[in-house]
Amino acid sequence: MLKDLSVSFSPHISQALSTRTVMVDVVIGLAPAIAAAGYYFRLRALILISTCVIASVATEWVCNIVRKKACSLGDFSAVVTGIILALSLPPRLPVWTAVIGSVFAIAIGKMVFGGLGSNIFNPAMAGRTFLAVSFGTLMTTWATPATIDGKMPKIAAENMIHARTQATPLAWSKMAIKNQLGADIYGEQNFKWTVTGEVGGCLGETSVIALAIGLGYLLMRRTIAFHIPLAVALSAFVFGTITYWIDSYSYVQPFYHLTSGGLLLCAFFIATDPVTAPLTRRGMWIFGIGVGGLTMLIRVFGGYPEGVMFSVLIMNAVTPLIDRLCKRVPAGGKPSVT
Amino acid sequence: MAAKIKGRLSFRGGVHPPERKGITCESAIQAGPAVKEVAIMLSQHIGAPCRAVVEKGAEVEAGQKVGDCDAFVCAPVHSPIAGKVKEIGLRSHAVLGRTLAVVISAEAETSPVQPAWELKGDFDASAYSSGQICEAIREGGLVGMGGAGFPTRVKIEPNPQKPNETMIINGCECEPYITCDYRMMLERTNQIVAGVKLAKAASGCSRAIFAIEDNKPAAIEAVSTALRGSNDIEMAVVKTKYPQGGERQLINSVLRKRVPTGGIPPMIGVVVLNVATTAAIADAVVNKRPLTHRVVTVSGEAIARPGNYYVAIGTLAGDLIEFCGGVTRQSAKVIMGGPMMGLAIADLDTPLTKTSGAITVLTKEQIGKAKFKRQQTACIRCGRCLAVCPENLNPTKIAHAVKSNLLELAQSYYLNACMECGCCSYVCPANIELTGYIKTGKIFVARQKKRMPQ
Repeated sequence: MLKDLSVSFSPHISQALSTRTVMVDVVIGLAPAIAAAGYYFRLRALILISTCVIASVATEWVCNIVRKKACSLGDFSAVVTGIILALSLPPRLPVWTAVIGSVFAIAIGKMVFGGLGSNIFNPAMAGRTFLAVSFGTLMTTWATPATIDGKMPKIAAENMIHARTQATPLAWSKMAIKNQLGADIYGEQNFKWTVTGEVGGCLGETSVIALAIGLGYLLMRRTIAFHIPLAVALSAFVFGTITYWIDSYSYVQPFYHLTSGGLLLCAFFIATDPVTAPLTRRGMWIFGIGVGGLTMLIRVFGGYPEGVMFSVLIMNAVTPLIDRLCKRVPAGGKPSVT
Repeated sequence: MAAKIKGRLSFRGGVHPPERKGITCESAIQAGPAVKEVAIMLSQHIGAPCRAVVEKGAEVEAGQKVGDCDAFVCAPVHSPIAGKVKEIGLRSHAVLGRTLAVVISAEAETSPVQPAWELKGDFDASAYSSGQICEAIREGGLVGMGGAGFPTRVKIEPNPQKPNETMIINGCECEPYITCDYRMMLERTNQIVAGVKLAKAASGCSRAIFAIEDNKPAAIEAVSTALRGSNDIEMAVVKTKYPQGGERQLINSVLRKRVPTGGIPPMIGVVVLNVATTAAIADAVVNKRPLTHRVVTVSGEAIARPGNYYVAIGTLAGDLIEFCGGVTRQSAKVIMGGPMMGLAIADLDTPLTKTSGAITVLTKEQIGKAKFKRQQTACIRCGRCLAVCPENLNPTKIAHAVKSNLLELAQSYYLNACMECGCCSYVCPANIELTGYIKTGKIFVARQKKRMPQ
């Protein structure tokens, strides 16, 4: 009975945890946002999400064949990329565009670097940026949520006051600044809509409640650490508060910045992508503050109403540097003699 | 009741592997196998290996010294049985490959019975001088029995430059499966307490703290009762967590002090002794019995009669497993020690040493399918290894630097500060053998610095 003994390094037992468990957890964490997208944007949401997932998985499969590597679909990372990409797309985006985005995200964003774990940039954000610079108009064509009465007044200069029927709350505030109407649209009603998600915007970013539920699940499962989400939200809030103090007429309320646009989707699910974020706690703080700060810089001073994807990509690029700067010191202090 | 240190005594990092101590924790220490032949390794400790002091064919008595050396960091070895030296040859060692051992054939097969211990009413640790105790410990060949095997004399002998201040008695036993220290604390409480008193007297420590994990209430109760009336030994109930029993972690938990990286506890005036070692101290000092036997836990789901056995050091692992009825199911790994830090052995003729507290036999189910097949996937940089590392290192960076043969880079991430507890490999979702890479890297570095033969 005691034969064929195998010998290996200790430890000889391991926690029942795999890369797939981690990825499935992220999918579960995204489920409330998917549900909210389905509720507000109906069939469009489901078509886009399933398109992106299928296209991502298929691209990874093809890439593995081309690279003559073992099938890596079992780790579910392509599914996560597909869902996140879909949730960051505008609802009325044509299906073929979504396919192009997914192919770019997986093939160029991930597989050319060597697959999961080797990619420098967040694949979903790489795909979205590719679409944003290639199909500018399509990527900024918005739809009002299906739950809003269609008879409500449409986008027009005289309806500036009604944020709900506008493109996106952030685009609206940007336009308001341009037209010198005063950017403060932070009414109780508007705030409520941005929290529940009954506003225009990308599929998954509108509902703060759904995103928060997902975050709670991920934190509970310890799939992600709280540092990056907190750092992103906090730095954006501080930035927003400062600009609001300086000029409350032309800059919107900090709370409004937090709840609208892709900031929280980014803070909870995109910036926390472990592969492209720093490893150490201190590095995570720097990374999060960088993402939040850059996002606000682009939103407040940039030409784009939204800046999440660029800020994530920029911070991804400096992640290796952050990791190098934020080395951990051993528990017993630095060794006096090496 | 002895004074109890209050507070949440724990350290940062660590993991909670399934304990599985239930298999053997109710099994009282019983006599181990009668041995016909033992192989006494000449290197059972950290430091200079012993030289054999007996010739081939010589007659030896039970307890006779068979190996010794003049180096300071060394401990002699003794024969547990009376018999004849059959040969001085190479035997499998779990870490060192094949090393020299004195092989002794017994005159008669006798089952090793743990000698009774009685704390005489007039026992007084101060009746022995520090020199006397240290000499008895050295002659008895005592080493740290928790696993590292650091010669005990070196630890507790007072050093004028670095006076000892605090002594911690390590009764944590944080490794899964192992219960030998637990049983010792229950059954040999007085012997352990006597050993603690002797060690405290010899080392010149002003404080002695008995640390036990909070998953062993019976042991805490037994030791507290035995300590009643002796006000000089404090009690510390520490949180159950692996590796709480690692001396660096234990010192951090109990004293809130950190041992410098690359240093040892005496550098900050702390001495950590395993409970089995303190029991051996009492035996060596009071009864002049050298360390020739120890309690070994034989455990694992597949073992027919798991339990705690009093075994002659030098018994072959295979003999002990056979004595326990062998295994009932196909087993995959035989481990000297517990599953977290123990060493898998390929040769069942590997003799037990002073530091072998357990033999664990694991089946494929316990190891897990992915772990057994060693399916490693790419690192997704999830950072779990950083979160659990009790030494606050960056295991994934070190391991991948070693993998790419970048030893300089690995050292810049403090490769040598790793104490190989295995927490990082345990939590890794990609199943990467982080500890394995780090261990390999340490060997490479030692070879570069020519501290280790090729």
